[in-house]
Amino acid sequence: MGGGGFNAWRLAALSPWPRWALGLLALAALAAVLLAWRGLRGEPRPGRRAALLALRALSAAAALFLLAEPAVQLLQTARVKNRLAILVDTSRSMRFPVEPGGPSRAEAAAAFLRAHRAALEALGDRATLEWHTFDRDVAPADPAALARGAEPRGGRTDLLSALRAVGAGSASGRRLAGAVVISDGADNAALADGLTPAARAALRELHAPVTAVAVGRDAPKDLAVERVAVDDFAFVRNTLTVEATLHARGFDGEPAQVTLRREGQVVASATVRLEAGKERYVVPLSFAPDTTGTFVFTVQAPVFPGEAVVENNARSFVLRVIRDRVRVLLVAGRPSWDERFLRGLLKQDPNVDLISFFILRTANDRSGPQDELSLIPFPVNEIFGDQLRISDAVIFDDFGWEPYRSFGMEAYLPRIRDYVRAGGAFAMVGGEQSFGEGRYGGTPLADVLPVEVVDGLGMAEEEFRPRLTPEGRRHPVTGLAGGEAQSDAAWAALPPLPLLNRTRALPPGSGAQVLLEAPSVPVMGRPAPVVAVREVGAGRTLAVTTDSSWFWGFLAAEKEGGNARAYQRFWSNALRWLVRDPSLTPIQVSPDRPAVEPGEAVGLSIQARGADWGPAAGAPVTAELVGEDGKVVARGQAAAGADGVARLSLLPPGPGAYRVVATGPPAAPGAPPEQASSAVAVRASGPEDADAAPRPELLRAVAEATGGAFTALPSGGLPDVPLADPEVVEVGRRKDVPIWDRAGFLLLLAASLAGEWILRRRWGYG
Amino acid sequence: MRRRTFLRWASLGAGALALPRAARALPETSRLTIGQLQHGGRWNPRPTALRRLLWELAARTSIETAPDGVALRAGRPGLHRFPFLYLAGDGPLPPFTEPERVALRRHLQYGGFLLVDSADGSDGAGFDASARRELAALLPGSPVLRIAREHVLYKSFYLLDHQGGRVLVKPWLEGQVVDGRLAVVYSQNDLGGAWARGALGDWEYECTPGGEAQRETAFRLGVNAAMYALCTDYKDDAVHLPFILKRRS
Repeated sequence: MGGGGFNAWRLAALSPWPRWALGLLALAALAAVLLAWRGLRGEPRPGRRAALLALRALSAAAALFLLAEPAVQLLQTARVKNRLAILVDTSRSMRFPVEPGGPSRAEAAAAFLRAHRAALEALGDRATLEWHTFDRDVAPADPAALARGAEPRGGRTDLLSALRAVGAGSASGRRLAGAVVISDGADNAALADGLTPAARAALRELHAPVTAVAVGRDAPKDLAVERVAVDDFAFVRNTLTVEATLHARGFDGEPAQVTLRREGQVVASATVRLEAGKERYVVPLSFAPDTTGTFVFTVQAPVFPGEAVVENNARSFVLRVIRDRVRVLLVAGRPSWDERFLRGLLKQDPNVDLISFFILRTANDRSGPQDELSLIPFPVNEIFGDQLRISDAVIFDDFGWEPYRSFGMEAYLPRIRDYVRAGGAFAMVGGEQSFGEGRYGGTPLADVLPVEVVDGLGMAEEEFRPRLTPEGRRHPVTGLAGGEAQSDAAWAALPPLPLLNRTRALPPGSGAQVLLEAPSVPVMGRPAPVVAVREVGAGRTLAVTTDSSWFWGFLAAEKEGGNARAYQRFWSNALRWLVRDPSLTPIQVSPDRPAVEPGEAVGLSIQARGADWGPAAGAPVTAELVGEDGKVVARGQAAAGADGVARLSLLPPGPGAYRVVATGPPAAPGAPPEQASSAVAVRASGPEDADAAPRPELLRAVAEATGGAFTALPSGGLPDVPLADPEVVEVGRRKDVPIWDRAGFLLLLAASLAGEWILRRRWGYG
Repeated sequence: MRRRTFLRWASLGAGALALPRAARALPETSRLTIGQLQHGGRWNPRPTALRRLLWELAARTSIETAPDGVALRAGRPGLHRFPFLYLAGDGPLPPFTEPERVALRRHLQYGGFLLVDSADGSDGAGFDASARRELAALLPGSPVLRIAREHVLYKSFYLLDHQGGRVLVKPWLEGQVVDGRLAVVYSQNDLGGAWARGALGDWEYECTPGGEAQRETAFRLGVNAAMYALCTDYKDDAVHLPFILKRRS
């Protein structure tokens, strides 16, 4: 049977009968035996009964055998060699020492490979060897290079994905017989939380034993900011808590001061004591951001001597600080229609939180007993002390300061000036208690107003039609309609105004711009300003030198087809400009991601708008990365596309916090270039550096779950590597050798039938 | 000295007291003026009433006022120069024309304020019937409803819990609300009759049944109405609450 190159055999039926017919025949054979047994029930001698039954059974079996036509099938088969994957960890955690003071884990792994490469290659008899490195991904590797030592630079360790990739991947379709993993086990992907049931099931699906060689024994001394829990955005002036999780190993009661910095400036700090045996600490850091914008914050833990990784002691994140609602403080010197309509507008705006204070009675007024009035004393301290600090904008509507000298008002004027310079917003609206009439000339407030206030210039009481200046045509505050011509027309259609406080435009270079002027009211030869704005320090101011801006609303709405939109639009624009609403800046910059890994470039989108607030197609824009020390570390240039968006990519030099400053063309010739800023963080450490501890126990669990062997460096050698049984695959010929056609079987059938017949005759069973 | 002569001198004195205020040179256009609506009926039953109310407003509050009201026709241009309108009458008035109604409606919807004052003490007839007809036509979506005692109108300057006027037909005021604000306030108690004061300084009408206290309340209501027109719900702002609660208790 073994000749002709055949190396296996099996039994087969050659009968042309279908299976069901063979089944029926088998039943018939059984029935024949049963009939014989039934006929022999009366036979008192057991010897005779047994002999007759045996002969009948033999006949039935022989008849069946002949009908089934059995044969021996001779096969030529071959065994297929499956694959053995050898995976060497090249993640960054392999740079850490095997044990404190020892060589790096990568060196230990290379030394192990040098020592056992021959033994591993000997396994090539049983399986095809495949050499790989793995970290975030799997890559084929040269065994000689691995033995020399591979550079550990992968930013993540994902063992399960690596095993799945080698399990699935082979062009030949050959199965994985086993794997040898040489790693520190510091997985920070699917196995970060240990061998979960899902991970265990995934390992079992490999159907291959994983032999693990654990590199690294003791965790080095290290303090890391492992995680920072914080929202993507926070509300300005509202307390925010950042939760930093520290991971500490190898400490014994040392205090550690953790600080939270905003671009170099410490905004919160806390101290924790690092106890022996306790590894995780959650440190809450609370602060109230005081300005809106996008900033990089950094949680910094101190660096102790002897730490394995220094880079993981800080962690940066980007936080967008927004305002919940714009807080406006409206102070009016007397009830008036101007105050009435402005209050109505601000009260209606869901984005405005309005604090009003109106003077309803002066010292001269005789109103009757105080307790019959709803009046409250002028809360100067509360308004200009507490409320000022938390206000986004302050509006003086026909409010004079002199009558309130006895309340200490004089002392608050420099405060308001400083509030503006520090980033606040202030607007003065005209009336006979405003500007020069309110004797603001020479006061600290005059230093920040957008017009020159000269006491005694008086008020113009003849009707006048204001006109946009060239700056006013393009400015977001006075832009009432889409284009410049439309804005001009919109202003010209408004009713003339009855009253103007005479002021003078500030000289160029003061940061002030007159947007709307009264050509019919000259002051020293030039039209008097009606609306003027100014950038002063970090803040902004607005002057509306009339008490009749309500004419643009209520009065404009009188004629048929008229409406109050100009008034609403003007004040809404003014308020948004005053508080630096981001949608009112002609250039905006946003990084693709708030934080990038070290070595990764920062993608930037820069949206540029033209003077008409449409997309500035083709506009040249530049972007810079500015470090915490104020130095420019990267710079790029691009032109905006048809949609006004320019795309740029800048490479930060290293970990840390960077301010992104985008510069676009000036809104008007001679004006300063438009700028916008954002922030981006380059992570000081990836997940690989966050925890320097090896996890041999995880590798042992993986080996046990798959039926593989386990060893630990530096002491362990190469264990026996279990491999899954290779599949046997038929590749060659087969040959059927019939056995039923041998004469002996037919003779046996004939003899048993004849024997039964003879015995039955002799023993009297006719 | 006869009583009349004394009053003449006294009124001159009062004028002299008022002079320094006028000397503060607030431009005319910035002063509060009340536009009194002319109509086909007896539209000006108390010709001296608004002058006195404006005088009292200037004397009692920081509101600067014009010396007198201004007569207006609803359909003529310039209505919106006077956000505060006053509609009075003695006896029924013929309906406003449709253009007049449109103009008044527009005025109120864009933020105007209308004080309606019945001089004839009527209830269900006379001026009252006409006024209700006109108000229903003016703001069909806003029914004329009683103004709650807690409304800011009763604390916009004075803390009030009584009604004033020449008579007391109703112990409450009614009003119509537009966009959450009182656009129309209606009194049946002849406020103008209580405000009216002759050139010689004598009150033109007795106030019944409450006498001078009722007249004072009428002025206080007038002051509160003007304050409400100019400051709306300012006195509902949180900053005032503790003070008002303390005084009311």
